[in-house]
Amino acid sequence: MACVYFHVQHSEEEVRVALDQLPLDANDILDILKAEQASLDIWLVIAREYFKQGKIQQFLLILKEGSSSDIDEYYSDVRYDRIAILNALGAYYSYLGKIETKQREKEDHFILATQYYNKASRIDMHEPSTWVGKGQLLLAKGDLEQASAAFKIVLDGDRDNVPAILGQACVQFNRGRYSESLELYKRALQVHPSCPGAVRLGIGHCRFKLGQLEKARQAFQRVLQLDPENVEALVALGMMDLQTNEADGIRKGMEKMQMAFEIYPYCAMALNHLANHFFFTGQHFLVEQLTETALAVSDHGLMKSHSYYNLARSYHSKGDYEKAGLYYMASVKESSRPHDFVLPYYGLGQVQLKLGDFKGSLSNFEKVLEVYPENCESLKVVGHIYVQLGQTEKALEVLRKATRIDPRDSQAFIELGELLISSDAGGALDAFKTARGLLKKSGEEAPIELLNNIGVLNFERGEFELAEQTFKAALGDGVWFLIMNDKRSSSVVDSEESSRRYCDMKLFQRLEDEGISVDLHWDKVTTLFNYARLLEQSHDAEKASILYRLILFKYPEYQDAYLRLAAIAKDRNNILLSIELIGDALKVNDKSPDALSMLGALELKNDDWVKAKETFRAAKEATDGKDSYASLSLGNWNYFAALRSEKRGAKLEATHLEKAKELYTKVLVQHPSNLYAANGAAVVLAEKGQFDVAKDIFTQVQEAASGSIFVQMPDVWINLAHVYFAQGQFALAVKMYQNCLRKFYYNTDTQVLLYLARTHYEAEQWQDCKKTLLRAIHLAPSNYTLRFDAGVAMQKFSTSTLQKAKRTADEVRSTVAELTNAVRVFTQLSKASNHHIHGFDEKKIATHVQYCQHLLEAAKVHCEAAEREEQQNRQRLEVARQVTLAEEARRKAEEQRKYQLERRKQEDEIKQVRQQEEHFERVKEQWKNSTPASKRKDRSHGEDEEGGHSENRRRKGGKRRKREKKVQYEIDDADNYEEEFEADDANTINNHEEDTNQMNDGDENTQDVLAAAGLEDSDLEDDMDEPSSTINQRRRGHWYESDEDEPSDKKLNSGTNTENVPEPESDGEFRDEMEAPDKDADEEDED
Amino acid sequence: MKLAGLKSVENAHEESVWAVTWIPATETRGALLLTGSLDETVKLWRSDELVLQGTNTGHCLGVVSVAAHPSGVIAASASLDSSIRVFDVDTNATIATLEAIPSEVWKMQFDPKGTILAVAGGGSASIKLWDTATWQLIDTLSVPRPESSKPSDKSGSGKFVLSVAWSPDGKRLACGSMDGTISVFDVARAKFLHHLDGHYMPVRSLVYSPIDPRVLYSASDDAHVHMYDAEGKSLIGAMSGHSSWVLSMDVSPDGGALATGSSDRTVRLWDLGMRAAVQTMSNHTDQVWGVAFRPPGGAGVRAGRLASVSDDKSISLYDYS
Repeated sequence: MACVYFHVQHSEEEVRVALDQLPLDANDILDILKAEQASLDIWLVIAREYFKQGKIQQFLLILKEGSSSDIDEYYSDVRYDRIAILNALGAYYSYLGKIETKQREKEDHFILATQYYNKASRIDMHEPSTWVGKGQLLLAKGDLEQASAAFKIVLDGDRDNVPAILGQACVQFNRGRYSESLELYKRALQVHPSCPGAVRLGIGHCRFKLGQLEKARQAFQRVLQLDPENVEALVALGMMDLQTNEADGIRKGMEKMQMAFEIYPYCAMALNHLANHFFFTGQHFLVEQLTETALAVSDHGLMKSHSYYNLARSYHSKGDYEKAGLYYMASVKESSRPHDFVLPYYGLGQVQLKLGDFKGSLSNFEKVLEVYPENCESLKVVGHIYVQLGQTEKALEVLRKATRIDPRDSQAFIELGELLISSDAGGALDAFKTARGLLKKSGEEAPIELLNNIGVLNFERGEFELAEQTFKAALGDGVWFLIMNDKRSSSVVDSEESSRRYCDMKLFQRLEDEGISVDLHWDKVTTLFNYARLLEQSHDAEKASILYRLILFKYPEYQDAYLRLAAIAKDRNNILLSIELIGDALKVNDKSPDALSMLGALELKNDDWVKAKETFRAAKEATDGKDSYASLSLGNWNYFAALRSEKRGAKLEATHLEKAKELYTKVLVQHPSNLYAANGAAVVLAEKGQFDVAKDIFTQVQEAASGSIFVQMPDVWINLAHVYFAQGQFALAVKMYQNCLRKFYYNTDTQVLLYLARTHYEAEQWQDCKKTLLRAIHLAPSNYTLRFDAGVAMQKFSTSTLQKAKRTADEVRSTVAELTNAVRVFTQLSKASNHHIHGFDEKKIATHVQYCQHLLEAAKVHCEAAEREEQQNRQRLEVARQVTLAEEARRKAEEQRKYQLERRKQEDEIKQVRQQEEHFERVKEQWKNSTPASKRKDRSHGEDEEGGHSENRRRKGGKRRKREKKVQYEIDDADNYEEEFEADDANTINNHEEDTNQMNDGDENTQDVLAAAGLEDSDLEDDMDEPSSTINQRRRGHWYESDEDEPSDKKLNSGTNTENVPEPESDGEFRDEMEAPDKDADEEDED
Repeated sequence: MKLAGLKSVENAHEESVWAVTWIPATETRGALLLTGSLDETVKLWRSDELVLQGTNTGHCLGVVSVAAHPSGVIAASASLDSSIRVFDVDTNATIATLEAIPSEVWKMQFDPKGTILAVAGGGSASIKLWDTATWQLIDTLSVPRPESSKPSDKSGSGKFVLSVAWSPDGKRLACGSMDGTISVFDVARAKFLHHLDGHYMPVRSLVYSPIDPRVLYSASDDAHVHMYDAEGKSLIGAMSGHSSWVLSMDVSPDGGALATGSSDRTVRLWDLGMRAAVQTMSNHTDQVWGVAFRPPGGAGVRAGRLASVSDDKSISLYDYS
């Protein structure tokens, strides 16, 4: 039993106060203390005792009394004890201030504490304990610098002052200078080895912060040895156990936390960790209880932040985003600095993202990134948010960073790829491929969306095989492959119903009847659709149609499938079925601009102009005029209307053109890179004669169009060729038409062939023109206009040949043959016109027949003349030949004679030689020397041979000479022939001129006839749909000058015009544009 | 079932080659290849080396079709000027010149017995039948106009007859027209039977299966080949794969394969059992206007041959096995 004794004043007696039996009323004690004038240290002891017993009232009463002015006076010389009392009060208020949560009261407490310490300082400003107290106060206020200064003052006086050392250690710890702090704690322990465990706690914390986990653990364990109930050490050890992240460690950690909780149920740290634990075990009720307690007991911001975070997380996981958001917000407010505790920012960001608050979410994730700039999850989320906010560039940057930081994060690659799809298909494909590879490596199955995207990107790059493999991998096994490879799929259909085969669903019903389940999971629909598109692109329309129908069988709302089926039907020229399918699509959504646009195109193809215009208008309205296709179509509509109206007036034409231009320009303003609009605008320009500008635009469009497999713009090639044509650059025009035919039409488009023929015609390449037309007839046998044009070409060829100043009989003969053909062609046409209407006037043909026959007769005269001439020439030639022959005979005879002479001479010589030899031999024999006779004989033989050779050679030489001469004669003959021919030619030319005069008469007749038929007028304004009216007029002027077969020329024009209905621009453009929206649809599907 | 290139003749003609057929072997010689071209000539080639055997002239404008009599003795060639020249294969002597103005001449075929030459009459909307003994026109099979003609029909192109095919038993005659309809006739009664629908673009080639007189194949500009039951009036199957018009077609003598030539510059071989393309030959550089399987027979020639001709002026010969 602890007691205090103090002397009773003026006596030897002592008063004994049993400390555990202090009276409840402190005034009793005070009275005694005052009465006995007990020394001030007694006061302090008693006050401290009251404090220990939790009797704060009494404690304060005694201390306040002990620091009153009376006491000051009375005990004025007892300086130390007075200071001690003041310091005790100061410490008490410091503590109150420290634990007070309300800012105002906190301030009040601190002010009181400061006053007491100041008072103590006034008594003795060098008292170290006062300074220590002040330091603690400053520490509590968070003023580390001044606190440190206060402790330093103490330590300067006494470097072993333990409280000051501890204070300074605390300052250093809070400054984050853990090693300095550790040194100080160690010194404190050296100076005062028996100091309480708390000092070791400091060492533990420092070591922990310094990462010396083992030593930290030892320190905490030592604390527990000294004080088994030290909650802080328990919690610290528990935390360390938890952080081992091993099951065993976590269990031990949780045990320690529980112990701590049992010892002292209000330790916020333990509560938070327990809550954390129960969060992971899913006991949300406990989490709430624990965290609420923790919140109630803790005033420490970070601690509270943790508690709120736990609470928020609990609600978050339960899906209560509103509440979770609120608590995350509270948590964020408590910690206020992301560096201290970043998790609530992350959580808050997630919740806000979930609730659609992108901006808020973004700022929170950005805070996370401030702390952890390389956090992939956050980077991905930030990237995602940027995408949602439409800030693609930033999103790209962030995602690229994410993939760089963690090149094994398949998700990041997928996100990056999706982002790149619209801007950089190649990059997107690479990203997707990487993601697929990563997933494969980690043994995960690639999601169908990823495979779909890879497939589509390959598809768009034209790598159809890769695309097909990918789509097949994405689809896996299913009823689709069964159907596609099954013969039953192409079921027997009555041929009358076969026209409706693209909406036939019986196939699937039959399969179901057979017990085969026709399943198609929704997530595979898009891929199946894309696969069907691929099949279509590889021209397997049949299989594609089966897949589209399968989609529609299971998902009748899938509008795109209807549109594609309609497109297939349209490609096969089954217009009615196509329109029906579009009708089905419109049943799904009657405002669908794609369907409406396609319907408009179909109606135009069906020659339903008024309806088409209405449909295009509807399409335009359905998209608020934003869909450029509808506007373009209307523009085209107006353009065609300008050129085609039967009763055309210049005014009407101008209005339509103006309207077309306006529409094209409007689209261009909205989409400056719209090729079709640019093309259209250039067409209108060309129509107005501004060829150079038009050419520039066409050239640019052509360049731009040759980039993608989905953009097929033959129109621009044709238009460019038209411009070349109009400018008289025929060779270039021919090349352009030919390239276009080959590149886009597999040489099957008769309209372009007709343009080509016309260019040949203008370039006066008659045979090329004719061949081109014959090819066109072969391709389009029922187009009688082409036959007519071929006839005209032959007629023109003939006239031009007959006009030629120089021509051979062969040429004239071929002219006659050509004319005969022309007559045949025209005659057949006129006979055929009895059978069907092919658009020309019988009279017109009759005129041509007449004209050709007339020409034929004239040609026959020519021909006869030419033949006569040829005959004469032949005769002359014959004479010449005979002369030559005679000459030759003569020369031959001469030569023969010479030869024989020579021969004789030679023979003579030989004879002489032989005689000499013989003579010589004889002499030799007479000599009879050692040389054998045989040898000599040989030699003579050899000499003989030699002689023979030389003779031969000579003879050959002669022959050669002769031949050369002959050639010369022939050349001479030819010259003669030509001279004579030319001389004769004068006649023919004269004749010919007469002929032409006659022909001119014929021409006038024809024109009269034409005028009567009312065709001429239209001819003057009509041109082929190439934009060349002015040029035409220029050229026409030229023809007038030549004053030759004007009618034929005009006929070609008019002829082509009658067949002008399917304008190339219209056709191509619609087809192409239809693909474009579909492609868009695909892309939407990918998302 | 596959094709293997044997021989190609570049510049076989001076211009596009538009028609090809095999002249069956006779006792004195093997089968010959007959080709017709835009250059207005018809040429005879000896297989397998494709040695030029003879060049026939006498046509105006391009030669659009050729046909061989089953006997192998006579053949016919037709040109754009609507005339047919019938000639002796070995002597090139003109036997007859046939014209039925204003009826044009497109595809033509001798009946299996060789007594009638059927000619697709173009704008006359009819098939012209010529007696091969007298070379007189014996009948005209007209395609009836549908009662309600479609609004999309352009005048004149309605029932323009382009192609013609005899059934292997000689009882039926089918013709294809510009608007895609196919008409089937009973030859003996000279009666129109019915239409086969499904195509909406010109049908340029028709051929009956040599093993089943009911089965008719059709090739159209819509890039499809259809397979009809010509008696039952039903569509049995449709095959797609060409990227442009299918211009020509022939069935192998065993009836198991179909060869098609297209303006997409390829020749495709189709397995009729699987109804799928099994091979694509891309040796031509322009439209393939004709394909023809060599008929069996002749001096021990068993090997299958396919010939193709093209706008690129060349002829190609393949081994079919």
